[in-house]
Amino acid sequence: MGKSSSPTAGKVPLKVGHSVWMRRLRIWAGVMVCLAFQFPILWMVMTSFKHQRDIFTTPPTIFFTPTLGAYVHVLTTTDLPLRMLNTLIVALGSGLISIVAGSMAGYALARIELRGAKTIGLLILLSRGVPPIAIAVPMYLVARALGLMDQHIVLILAYCTFLIPYVMWLMRGFFMSLPKELEESAFIDGCSRFGAFVRIILPLSLPGLLSALIFSIILAWEELLFALVLTNRAATTIPVVVSGMAGDSLNGPNWAALCAVSTMSILPVVVFALLMQKWLIKGLADGATKG
Amino acid sequence: MIRSTSSQTQAAQRASLKDLFARWWFMTPAALLLLVTLAYPIGYTVYISFAEINLGTFRPQGWVGWNNYLNVLEDDRFRTAIVVTAKYLVFALPLQLVLGFAIAILINVEWAGRGMIRAAFLIPLAIAPVIAGGVWRMLLDPLWGIANYAIGMVGVSPIDWLGDPFWAMVTVIFIDTWRWTPFVVLIASAALLSLPRELYEAAELDGASRWAMLWHITLPLLMPVIAATFVVRWLGAVKMFDIALASTNGGPGRATSVINMYIYEEAFRGLRFAESSAASMIILFVTMLLTAVFLRTARYFEVRH
Repeated sequence: MGKSSSPTAGKVPLKVGHSVWMRRLRIWAGVMVCLAFQFPILWMVMTSFKHQRDIFTTPPTIFFTPTLGAYVHVLTTTDLPLRMLNTLIVALGSGLISIVAGSMAGYALARIELRGAKTIGLLILLSRGVPPIAIAVPMYLVARALGLMDQHIVLILAYCTFLIPYVMWLMRGFFMSLPKELEESAFIDGCSRFGAFVRIILPLSLPGLLSALIFSIILAWEELLFALVLTNRAATTIPVVVSGMAGDSLNGPNWAALCAVSTMSILPVVVFALLMQKWLIKGLADGATKG
Repeated sequence: MIRSTSSQTQAAQRASLKDLFARWWFMTPAALLLLVTLAYPIGYTVYISFAEINLGTFRPQGWVGWNNYLNVLEDDRFRTAIVVTAKYLVFALPLQLVLGFAIAILINVEWAGRGMIRAAFLIPLAIAPVIAGGVWRMLLDPLWGIANYAIGMVGVSPIDWLGDPFWAMVTVIFIDTWRWTPFVVLIASAALLSLPRELYEAAELDGASRWAMLWHITLPLLMPVIAATFVVRWLGAVKMFDIALASTNGGPGRATSVINMYIYEEAFRGLRFAESSAASMIILFVTMLLTAVFLRTARYFEVRH
């Protein structure tokens, strides 16, 4: 697409005048669309630095004296730091477990001929369609019965239900793209299957593993439903805090605080996403098209 | 001779048994975890959906047959939730796919900033849906929101985005589209890059116009990706909960109460665990059925090309 307008294709004397204008128009339109998508985030970050008097104004305030008041407020007077720690523990825990279990199973699906592997693959694919609400009720009842309510482990296990199938499918595609000769030569050298997997396949799959891990952590980081159902105080995560703040009709909206919490919560994710953009985009594309 | 073959078979059997173990070993962690966290809860949901829950012990008791299912099917709020969910899916999914692929085609111009633009589309994806809902709730506030101010500048009178049943539905679809279109853009961009250049060069030499190339080369080649993206978005959209909860909380009334929200409220606000489990099973069944149909269709497009 668009190659007639590229400098290298400039030799082709087709529709050049039209193309130059089209090209400019498309670039401008693309930039505008892209900026439009960023606007809510920009506004959120701006609001997080506003004084209360600059938030509830008509017309909306664009130039204002910034303040860290909202950040200081949520960090010192609420138990937000604890919620952040909870989110981190749960996201890392479920991400790591899912990467280990999911990549092993993905390898089995990609490379080992198992009777019934096709059925298992189909089941896993279908399991991605299970709405979390369908298992939230029994999880709540069982967690209550076992005294596991409001603990990190119960959230970690709950997140495994959607992370493992996801990692499995992503890594299956990744492993299938590696040449088979790699393991075969390792077997000849006397490696066991697991030895070959750990020593040869995994190191070569680092980019795929890393992007699957980051995706898993992000998905766990932003999960709301299970966190609402399975925690109430001690193990509550940031999304629960945000939903509480957004829906607080009793005290009226504290927009600066909502925006401050949201900004802090998305900052690590945005930085990670931008740093790893190449792998993440590839992971996204593979996850969709090879699923 | 016979003895040696039999010992050979024994050794081979032992080796193959060991191999069988080694093979399945890879599946074990995932299989065990999914059995405990996924298969068991689903089984439990089936059980509860035919039972009553003792609210003293929070344990199921008795057997009520299809009663819970009948109660749910006769519940007006359940029917409303089904209609709301169907509206959301029918409008949001095609909108996101069309917008996503259109934007990807639009920004697929070779220039210095192309990579940057694509990277920028990652940012809305990094926003948790619940945050997206909360922030848009602020932007769309009837009194202080910037959205009403902006449309006021072009002479449109303020809209009650969250309080009017019709506009609340539009709002939920809109926020969902804002959050998920970038996802489609990124997948579509990656797919566009992988299309074979030679086809376009040949078409250009034949004097094909840009539109002709788009309709006769790009879109047909993209069909498998479009189908696959639809399936992935479908799988995400049937779970939609966060955005509706944070932006409209299902209201006004039940105007934006999607099915996940209905079940959540039935179970955890109304403590009607048995009925909500029956509703879950109905939804699970319908979702699985439709997912299978969509997967089949996607596979068809994949094979055809």
